[in-house]
Amino acid sequence: MIRRLVTFSMAAALFAAAACSKPAAAPAAPAHPNLSGSWVRPLGDREVGGLPPVNEIPFTPWAATKLKAERPAAGENQDFANTTDPSLKYADPNGYPRISMHPMRFKLIQTDDYLYQLWEYNQNWRQIALNKPQEPDPALTWYGNAVGTWDGDTLVVDSIGYKDSTWLDSRGVPHTQDLHIVERIHRAGENLVFDLTFEDPGAFTKPWSASLIFRPAPDGTMTETIYTISDELRFRERFLQQKPAIPIRR
Amino acid sequence: MRSNMSCVLAATVAAFLVSTSALAHHGAASIYDLSKETTIKATVTEYVWTNPHVEIGISPNGGTTTELLLELGSPPNIRNRGWTSRTVKPGDVVTVTFHPGLRGAKIGVVMKLITADGKELRA
Repeated sequence: MIRRLVTFSMAAALFAAAACSKPAAAPAAPAHPNLSGSWVRPLGDREVGGLPPVNEIPFTPWAATKLKAERPAAGENQDFANTTDPSLKYADPNGYPRISMHPMRFKLIQTDDYLYQLWEYNQNWRQIALNKPQEPDPALTWYGNAVGTWDGDTLVVDSIGYKDSTWLDSRGVPHTQDLHIVERIHRAGENLVFDLTFEDPGAFTKPWSASLIFRPAPDGTMTETIYTISDELRFRERFLQQKPAIPIRR
Repeated sequence: MRSNMSCVLAATVAAFLVSTSALAHHGAASIYDLSKETTIKATVTEYVWTNPHVEIGISPNGGTTTELLLELGSPPNIRNRGWTSRTVKPGDVVTVTFHPGLRGAKIGVVMKLITADGKELRA
Protein backbone atom coordinates (compact mmCIF):
# COMPACT_ATOMS: atom_id res chain seq x y z
CA MET A 1 0.00 0.00 0.00
CA ILE A 2 2.79 2.29 0.96
CA ARG A 3 4.70 1.42 -2.23
CA ARG A 4 1.62 2.20 -4.33
CA LEU A 5 1.15 5.48 -2.52
CA VAL A 6 4.76 6.42 -3.12
CA THR A 7 4.45 5.48 -6.78
CA PHE A 8 1.30 7.52 -7.13
CA SER A 9 2.93 10.48 -5.41
CA MET A 10 5.97 10.31 -7.67
CA ALA A 11 3.77 10.12 -10.74
CA ALA A 12 1.78 13.09 -9.54
CA ALA A 13 4.98 15.03 -8.87
CA LEU A 14 6.34 14.20 -12.32
CA PHE A 15 3.06 15.26 -13.91
CA ALA A 16 3.12 18.49 -11.97
CA ALA A 17 6.73 19.13 -12.91
CA ALA A 18 5.96 18.45 -16.55
CA ALA A 19 3.02 20.80 -16.39
CA CYS A 20 5.13 23.49 -14.74
CA SER A 21 7.91 23.16 -17.30
CA LYS A 22 5.47 23.62 -20.16
CA PRO A 23 6.39 26.79 -22.02
CA ALA A 24 4.38 29.77 -20.83
CA ALA A 25 1.78 31.05 -23.23
CA ALA A 26 2.94 33.98 -25.35
CA PRO A 27 1.94 37.30 -23.75
CA ALA A 28 -1.20 38.76 -25.15
CA ALA A 29 -0.69 41.49 -27.70
CA PRO A 30 -1.14 44.95 -26.17
CA ALA A 31 -4.69 46.11 -26.44
CA HIS A 32 -3.65 49.52 -27.67
CA PRO A 33 -0.67 51.04 -29.44
CA ASN A 34 2.15 52.35 -27.35
CA LEU A 35 2.71 55.99 -28.31
CA SER A 36 5.94 56.29 -26.34
CA GLY A 37 8.81 57.83 -28.20
CA SER A 38 10.46 61.10 -29.19
CA TRP A 39 8.73 63.27 -31.75
CA VAL A 40 9.47 66.46 -33.61
CA ARG A 41 7.76 68.64 -36.18
CA PRO A 42 8.74 68.16 -39.80
CA LEU A 43 10.97 70.78 -41.33
CA GLY A 44 9.13 73.45 -43.25
CA ASP A 45 6.26 73.51 -40.80
CA ARG A 46 7.61 75.99 -38.34
CA GLU A 47 5.58 79.11 -38.03
CA VAL A 48 2.13 77.94 -36.99
CA GLY A 49 2.15 74.21 -37.36
CA GLY A 50 -1.06 72.86 -38.75
CA LEU A 51 -3.49 75.51 -37.58
CA PRO A 52 -5.49 76.99 -40.46
CA PRO A 53 -5.11 80.56 -41.72
CA VAL A 54 -6.69 82.97 -39.27
CA ASN A 55 -9.32 83.98 -41.81
CA GLU A 56 -10.58 80.40 -41.72
CA ILE A 57 -11.03 80.32 -37.96
CA PRO A 58 -14.63 81.20 -36.94
CA PHE A 59 -13.86 83.90 -34.40
CA THR A 60 -16.52 85.57 -32.32
CA PRO A 61 -16.43 89.38 -32.48
CA TRP A 62 -14.63 89.42 -29.12
CA ALA A 63 -11.91 87.06 -30.35
CA ALA A 64 -11.54 88.84 -33.69
CA THR A 65 -11.07 92.15 -31.92
CA LYS A 66 -8.57 90.66 -29.48
CA LEU A 67 -6.57 89.04 -32.27
CA LYS A 68 -6.47 92.28 -34.21
CA ALA A 69 -5.12 94.14 -31.21
CA GLU A 70 -2.27 91.71 -30.63
CA ARG A 71 1.22 92.30 -31.96
CA PRO A 72 2.70 88.85 -32.62
CA ALA A 73 6.42 88.30 -33.06
CA ALA A 74 5.95 85.87 -35.92
CA GLY A 75 3.81 85.47 -39.00
CA GLU A 76 2.20 88.26 -40.96
CA ASN A 77 2.34 91.76 -39.48
CA GLN A 78 4.92 90.61 -36.97
CA ASP A 79 6.35 93.20 -34.59
CA PHE A 80 8.96 91.56 -32.43
CA ALA A 81 10.18 94.80 -30.88
CA ASN A 82 6.75 95.75 -29.55
CA THR A 83 5.16 92.34 -29.30
CA THR A 84 2.29 91.57 -26.95
CA ASP A 85 3.09 87.85 -27.08
CA PRO A 86 2.87 86.73 -23.43
CA SER A 87 5.44 84.01 -24.01
CA LEU A 88 7.97 86.67 -24.97
CA LYS A 89 6.81 89.73 -23.06
CA TYR A 90 6.54 87.82 -19.77
CA ALA A 91 8.30 84.55 -20.64
CA ASP A 92 5.01 82.81 -19.83
CA PRO A 93 4.65 79.12 -20.61
CA ASN A 94 3.47 78.59 -24.16
CA GLY A 95 0.35 76.69 -23.16
CA TYR A 96 -1.34 74.08 -25.29
CA PRO A 97 -1.21 73.35 -28.19
CA ARG A 98 1.26 76.14 -28.95
CA ILE A 99 4.04 74.33 -27.12
CA SER A 100 3.73 71.45 -29.57
CA MET A 101 4.37 73.83 -32.48
CA HIS A 102 7.80 74.68 -31.13
CA PRO A 103 10.53 73.16 -33.29
CA MET A 104 12.11 71.37 -30.35
CA ARG A 105 11.13 67.77 -29.74
CA PHE A 106 8.82 66.23 -27.20
CA LYS A 107 8.74 62.83 -25.64
CA LEU A 108 5.71 60.65 -24.91
CA ILE A 109 5.91 58.16 -22.07
CA GLN A 110 2.94 55.84 -21.85
CA THR A 111 2.10 53.86 -18.73
CA ASP A 112 -0.99 51.89 -17.84
CA ASP A 113 -2.57 54.93 -16.20
CA TYR A 114 -1.11 57.97 -17.87
CA LEU A 115 0.39 59.32 -21.04
CA TYR A 116 3.03 61.90 -20.19
CA GLN A 117 4.00 64.49 -22.79
CA LEU A 118 7.37 66.08 -22.02
CA TRP A 119 8.37 69.07 -24.11
CA GLU A 120 12.05 69.82 -24.40
CA TYR A 121 11.39 73.55 -24.62
CA ASN A 122 11.33 74.99 -21.11
CA GLN A 123 10.91 71.50 -19.67
CA ASN A 124 7.13 71.86 -19.75
CA TRP A 125 4.95 68.78 -19.50
CA ARG A 126 1.38 67.57 -19.22
CA GLN A 127 -0.24 64.34 -18.18
CA ILE A 128 -3.18 62.64 -19.85
CA ALA A 129 -5.04 60.41 -17.39
CA LEU A 130 -6.14 57.24 -19.14
CA ASN A 131 -9.61 55.81 -18.66
CA LYS A 132 -10.59 58.34 -16.01
CA PRO A 133 -13.58 60.67 -16.18
CA GLN A 134 -13.04 64.34 -16.88
CA GLU A 135 -13.28 66.55 -13.82
CA PRO A 136 -16.34 68.80 -13.89
CA ASP A 137 -14.50 71.91 -12.75
CA PRO A 138 -10.73 71.45 -12.79
CA ALA A 139 -8.21 74.05 -11.70
CA LEU A 140 -7.21 76.45 -14.47
CA THR A 141 -3.70 75.63 -15.64
CA TRP A 142 -1.29 76.39 -18.48
CA TYR A 143 -1.67 72.91 -19.96
CA GLY A 144 -5.22 72.03 -18.99
CA ASN A 145 -6.74 68.92 -17.48
CA ALA A 146 -6.60 66.07 -19.95
CA VAL A 147 -8.15 62.60 -19.89
CA GLY A 148 -7.86 59.97 -22.58
CA THR A 149 -9.76 56.91 -23.74
CA TRP A 150 -8.97 54.53 -26.54
CA ASP A 151 -11.06 54.28 -29.68
CA GLY A 152 -9.38 51.35 -31.37
CA ASP A 153 -5.85 52.46 -32.18
CA THR A 154 -6.64 56.12 -31.57
CA LEU A 155 -6.28 57.84 -28.22
CA VAL A 156 -9.09 60.34 -27.78
CA VAL A 157 -8.07 63.10 -25.39
CA ASP A 158 -10.52 65.49 -23.82
CA SER A 159 -9.08 68.57 -22.13
CA ILE A 160 -10.49 71.62 -20.36
CA GLY A 161 -9.34 73.91 -17.57
CA TYR A 162 -7.04 76.17 -19.55
CA LYS A 163 -5.88 79.58 -18.33
CA ASP A 164 -7.08 82.18 -20.80
CA SER A 165 -3.84 84.13 -20.91
CA THR A 166 -2.13 81.85 -23.44
CA TRP A 167 -2.26 82.05 -27.22
CA LEU A 168 -3.16 78.96 -29.19
CA ASP A 169 -0.30 79.72 -31.56
CA SER A 170 2.37 82.31 -32.21
CA ARG A 171 -0.05 84.45 -34.26
CA GLY A 172 -2.08 85.29 -31.20
CA VAL A 173 -5.19 83.13 -31.68
CA PRO A 174 -7.08 83.77 -28.42
CA HIS A 175 -9.33 81.61 -26.27
CA THR A 176 -11.28 81.84 -23.05
CA GLN A 177 -11.30 79.71 -19.91
CA ASP A 178 -14.05 77.66 -21.55
CA LEU A 179 -11.69 76.24 -24.15
CA HIS A 180 -12.40 72.58 -24.79
CA ILE A 181 -9.99 70.60 -26.96
CA VAL A 182 -10.69 67.13 -28.24
CA GLU A 183 -7.67 65.38 -29.70
CA ARG A 184 -7.44 62.17 -31.64
CA ILE A 185 -3.87 60.91 -31.44
CA HIS A 186 -2.86 58.13 -33.75
CA ARG A 187 0.02 56.79 -35.73
CA ALA A 188 0.17 57.24 -39.49
CA GLY A 189 3.01 55.15 -40.82
CA GLU A 190 6.06 56.22 -38.90
CA ASN A 191 4.51 59.57 -38.00
CA LEU A 192 2.28 60.60 -35.14
CA VAL A 193 -0.81 62.70 -35.82
CA PHE A 194 -2.75 64.89 -33.45
CA ASP A 195 -6.15 65.78 -34.91
CA LEU A 196 -7.51 68.61 -32.78
CA THR A 197 -10.98 70.10 -32.51
CA PHE A 198 -11.37 73.39 -30.68
CA GLU A 199 -14.60 74.40 -28.99
CA ASP A 200 -14.96 77.67 -27.13
CA PRO A 201 -18.26 79.56 -27.39
CA GLY A 202 -16.64 82.76 -26.18
CA ALA A 203 -13.95 82.70 -28.85
CA PHE A 204 -15.34 80.64 -31.74
CA THR A 205 -18.79 80.62 -33.31
CA LYS A 206 -18.46 76.92 -34.07
CA PRO A 207 -15.94 74.13 -33.52
CA TRP A 208 -12.95 74.05 -35.84
CA SER A 209 -10.21 71.55 -36.46
CA ALA A 210 -6.52 71.29 -37.20
CA SER A 211 -3.92 68.56 -37.49
CA LEU A 212 -0.39 68.52 -36.14
CA ILE A 213 1.92 65.93 -37.63
CA PHE A 214 5.15 64.82 -36.00
CA ARG A 215 7.92 62.57 -37.20
CA PRO A 216 10.15 60.42 -35.01
CA ALA A 217 12.99 62.46 -33.57
CA PRO A 218 16.31 60.97 -34.62
CA ASP A 219 17.77 61.39 -31.16
CA GLY A 220 15.65 60.97 -28.07
CA THR A 221 18.04 62.83 -25.81
CA MET A 222 16.27 65.72 -24.13
CA THR A 223 18.40 68.76 -23.46
CA GLU A 224 17.88 71.42 -20.82
CA THR A 225 16.47 74.48 -22.51
CA ILE A 226 15.01 76.84 -19.98
CA TYR A 227 14.21 80.30 -21.23
CA THR A 228 13.72 83.07 -18.68
CA ILE A 229 12.62 86.69 -18.67
CA SER A 230 16.27 87.64 -18.13
CA ASP A 231 17.15 85.82 -21.35
CA GLU A 232 14.48 87.72 -23.23
CA LEU A 233 15.35 91.14 -21.80
CA ARG A 234 19.04 90.60 -22.35
CA PHE A 235 18.41 89.64 -25.97
CA ARG A 236 16.30 92.75 -26.47
CA GLU A 237 18.93 94.93 -24.86
CA ARG A 238 21.63 93.60 -27.14
CA PHE A 239 19.77 93.26 -30.43
CA LEU A 240 17.11 95.95 -30.17
CA GLN A 241 18.74 98.41 -27.76
CA GLN A 242 15.73 98.13 -25.47
CA LYS A 243 16.49 99.06 -21.89
CA PRO A 244 15.40 96.27 -19.51
CA ALA A 245 12.35 97.30 -17.50
CA ILE A 246 13.54 95.29 -14.51
CA PRO A 247 16.95 94.18 -13.26
CA ILE A 248 18.09 91.10 -15.11
CA ARG A 249 20.61 88.34 -14.62
CA ARG A 250 23.68 88.78 -16.76
CA MET B 1 32.06 98.99 -43.43
CA ARG B 2 35.28 100.56 -44.62
CA SER B 3 36.97 99.69 -47.90
CA ASN B 4 39.81 97.88 -46.17
CA MET B 5 37.45 95.43 -44.63
CA SER B 6 38.16 91.84 -45.46
CA CYS B 7 34.84 91.63 -47.16
CA VAL B 8 34.86 88.81 -49.65
CA LEU B 9 31.29 89.17 -50.83
CA ALA B 10 28.37 91.40 -50.14
CA ALA B 11 25.51 90.22 -52.21
CA THR B 12 21.86 90.96 -52.34
CA VAL B 13 19.75 88.09 -53.41
CA ALA B 14 16.11 87.29 -53.31
CA ALA B 15 16.23 85.00 -50.37
CA PHE B 16 13.55 83.95 -48.04
CA LEU B 17 15.48 81.13 -46.47
CA VAL B 18 14.70 82.41 -43.03
CA SER B 19 16.84 81.07 -40.27
CA THR B 20 14.28 78.57 -39.19
CA SER B 21 15.70 78.16 -35.75
CA ALA B 22 15.22 81.86 -35.10
CA LEU B 23 11.54 81.41 -35.69
CA ALA B 24 11.28 79.39 -32.54
CA HIS B 25 11.62 82.61 -30.60
CA HIS B 26 10.56 85.31 -32.99
CA GLY B 27 9.90 85.91 -36.61
CA ALA B 28 12.89 87.40 -38.38
CA ALA B 29 11.07 89.68 -40.78
CA SER B 30 10.49 92.55 -38.38
CA ILE B 31 14.15 93.07 -37.49
CA TYR B 32 16.15 91.61 -40.38
CA ASP B 33 16.14 92.25 -44.11
CA LEU B 34 15.34 88.80 -45.39
CA SER B 35 15.76 89.93 -48.98
CA LYS B 36 19.46 90.51 -48.37
CA GLU B 37 22.16 87.97 -47.78
CA THR B 38 25.58 89.24 -46.81
CA THR B 39 28.77 87.22 -46.66
CA ILE B 40 31.88 88.59 -44.99
CA LYS B 41 35.13 87.37 -43.56
CA ALA B 42 35.53 88.65 -40.03
CA THR B 43 37.15 88.08 -36.69
CA VAL B 44 35.08 86.63 -33.86
CA THR B 45 34.98 88.97 -30.87
CA GLU B 46 32.56 87.02 -28.68
CA TYR B 47 30.61 83.79 -28.75
CA VAL B 48 27.85 83.44 -26.18
CA TRP B 49 26.08 80.10 -25.82
CA THR B 50 22.81 81.32 -24.36
CA ASN B 51 19.05 81.33 -24.61
CA PRO B 52 17.01 82.30 -26.48
CA HIS B 53 19.68 82.42 -29.21
CA VAL B 54 23.39 81.88 -29.35
CA GLU B 55 25.24 85.10 -30.16
CA ILE B 56 28.34 85.77 -32.22
CA GLY B 57 29.99 89.16 -32.19
CA ILE B 58 32.30 89.89 -35.09
CA SER B 59 34.65 92.58 -36.30
CA PRO B 60 35.09 92.83 -40.07
CA ASN B 61 38.23 94.87 -39.37
CA GLY B 62 40.03 92.30 -37.31
CA GLY B 63 39.38 94.17 -34.11
CA THR B 64 38.57 92.89 -30.65
CA THR B 65 35.32 94.76 -30.07
CA THR B 66 32.00 93.74 -31.53
CA GLU B 67 30.97 95.73 -34.58
CA LEU B 68 28.24 93.37 -35.76
CA LEU B 69 26.16 91.24 -33.42
CA LEU B 70 24.71 88.12 -35.00
CA GLU B 71 22.20 85.63 -33.68
CA LEU B 72 22.07 81.93 -34.27
CA GLY B 73 19.36 79.46 -33.32
CA SER B 74 18.67 78.21 -29.85
CA PRO B 75 21.38 76.03 -28.30
CA PRO B 76 19.69 72.63 -28.78
CA ASN B 77 18.59 73.41 -32.31
CA ILE B 78 22.00 74.44 -33.56
CA ARG B 79 23.62 71.66 -31.60
CA ASN B 80 21.61 69.32 -33.80
CA ARG B 81 23.29 71.02 -36.75
CA GLY B 82 26.77 70.40 -35.44
CA TRP B 83 27.45 73.49 -33.35
CA THR B 84 28.84 73.32 -29.85
CA SER B 85 29.75 75.92 -27.27
CA ARG B 86 33.34 75.67 -28.54
CA THR B 87 32.75 75.86 -32.28
CA VAL B 88 34.34 79.30 -32.46
CA LYS B 89 36.19 81.53 -30.03
CA PRO B 90 37.33 85.14 -29.94
CA GLY B 91 40.15 85.69 -32.38
CA ASP B 92 38.97 83.11 -34.90
CA VAL B 93 38.67 84.35 -38.47
CA VAL B 94 35.46 83.03 -39.98
CA THR B 95 33.37 83.54 -43.08
CA VAL B 96 29.78 84.16 -42.16
CA THR B 97 26.63 84.60 -44.22
CA PHE B 98 23.69 86.41 -42.64
CA HIS B 99 20.58 88.47 -43.18
CA PRO B 100 21.49 91.99 -42.03
CA GLY B 101 19.45 94.12 -39.65
CA LEU B 102 16.82 96.47 -40.97
CA ARG B 103 17.36 100.22 -40.98
CA GLY B 104 21.11 99.84 -40.73
CA ALA B 105 21.08 98.11 -37.37
CA LYS B 106 24.42 96.43 -36.71
CA ILE B 107 22.84 93.04 -36.19
CA GLY B 108 22.10 89.99 -38.28
CA VAL B 109 20.76 86.47 -38.25
CA VAL B 110 23.28 83.87 -39.35
CA MET B 111 22.51 81.54 -42.21
CA LYS B 112 25.84 79.73 -42.37
CA LEU B 113 29.37 80.04 -41.09
CA ILE B 114 32.68 78.61 -42.25
CA THR B 115 35.10 78.13 -39.39
CA ALA B 116 38.79 78.94 -39.49
CA ASP B 117 39.55 75.32 -40.34
CA GLY B 118 37.04 75.23 -43.18
CA LYS B 119 34.09 73.51 -41.55
CA GLU B 120 30.76 74.80 -42.87
CA LEU B 121 27.83 74.95 -40.47
CA ARG B 122 24.24 75.99 -41.09
CA ALA B 123 22.54 78.02 -38.39
